[in-house]
Amino acid sequence: MSIINRLRLSAHLDEAALVSLWTDATLGGSPVAHPHLERCSACRNRFAELAAWLDTMRLDAVAEADEHFSTERLATQNTQILRRLEAAERPARVIAFPTFTQPFTSRSSHVSRWTAAAAAAGLIVGVGLGQLTDLRHSLTPRTPAGAPLTATAPPVGVAATVPLPKPGGREELFLSELDASISRAPAELRALDAFTPRAGDQVR
Amino acid sequence: MTGAQAAGLHGREADSAAASAVKTMQAEGRHAEARERYAELVGRHQRRASRIAFHYMRDSAEADEAVQDAFVKAYQHLASFREELPFEVWFTRILINGCLDRIKARTRREKWVAPMPDGPTGGRDFGERVAGHGPSPEDHLLARERRQTLARALSRLPERQRSVFMLSHYEGCTSREVSALTGLNESTVRVHLFRAIRKLRTLLAESAAGEKNVEKRRVNH
Repeated sequence: MSIINRLRLSAHLDEAALVSLWTDATLGGSPVAHPHLERCSACRNRFAELAAWLDTMRLDAVAEADEHFSTERLATQNTQILRRLEAAERPARVIAFPTFTQPFTSRSSHVSRWTAAAAAAGLIVGVGLGQLTDLRHSLTPRTPAGAPLTATAPPVGVAATVPLPKPGGREELFLSELDASISRAPAELRALDAFTPRAGDQVR
Repeated sequence: MTGAQAAGLHGREADSAAASAVKTMQAEGRHAEARERYAELVGRHQRRASRIAFHYMRDSAEADEAVQDAFVKAYQHLASFREELPFEVWFTRILINGCLDRIKARTRREKWVAPMPDGPTGGRDFGERVAGHGPSPEDHLLARERRQTLARALSRLPERQRSVFMLSHYEGCTSREVSALTGLNESTVRVHLFRAIRKLRTLLAESAAGEKNVEKRRVNH
């Protein structure tokens, strides 16, 4: 054995080397074999520690999963899987559509055909007349923009019969109604009204 | 050949035979018989599948759903199953893809919806815990903390490293099996496993150091 090889074998294995050894052994399914491990008890211990740490981790993980999936739960899961498979294979149920005593299609008589034709004709005539009316309106001469509005005003006689609203007429009406209601009010309220200042008094 | 390996080989042969039989029955329209035979396969792989799904999802209800979906999907696509690949590998691939899809969906959901706060003892697990025999509450708490720390560290690994670590270490898959499951080269699988362990060591050491610091500060106060 060369000196370099001897030196290499005598040097302690670092963590990466230990992990690498463990990885190879696990994936290959073979036992761990390294010349240095056979000689060095310190490295052997460190490797054993690493392997124990990983084993604990695995056992813990498996135990945790098994805690969640008890035998009863797995049995339920099995039943559910089979039920789902059965449901997936069962052909879809078709609900029968309600039947009628006489089908609609047999009612296609001449009457319905004539009704449809009359409705269509009515529509066409209506649209045509509408168009004609519009055309007539557009042909009549329009009032020029500057023309006085008196041309379209109602006759004078008619206007004279209609009483023109006086300015402030509504207010007058409202106030008279107010006065009347006060005069109808009970005596107590009238006394109250008497010493209430009036807007008119304030202005004066 | 060890006893376990021989049992595994026999199990694989039995799986392949069962899968082929189910496929034939499906093709012939004998659905009830096919389902009955498929139930055997479900029974054989259910526990392992639930474990894998739980390691991915970290939630038993979601893991349960993922397992159910994977079995239903495998049954419906059994016609595409090739006998040269073990049923276990083919099925596990379906399961892992389903789990990864669910994780993606969950991440999206968590981005927009505020999660329900867990209780001090972990609200989700409360209903599943049965009082009576078993470890003491203190042991439970310690184990729970240890598992949470490990789960946090695992969740910080890149997706491929995590998958390789869980399949090879937790499930005892060989590099060839992990390669078939993940679609990675065997040498890449080895590199991912190596990196995963090194990173986990670092993360867990950091976490332990952080806890010690907190403890020291508490004592000083």
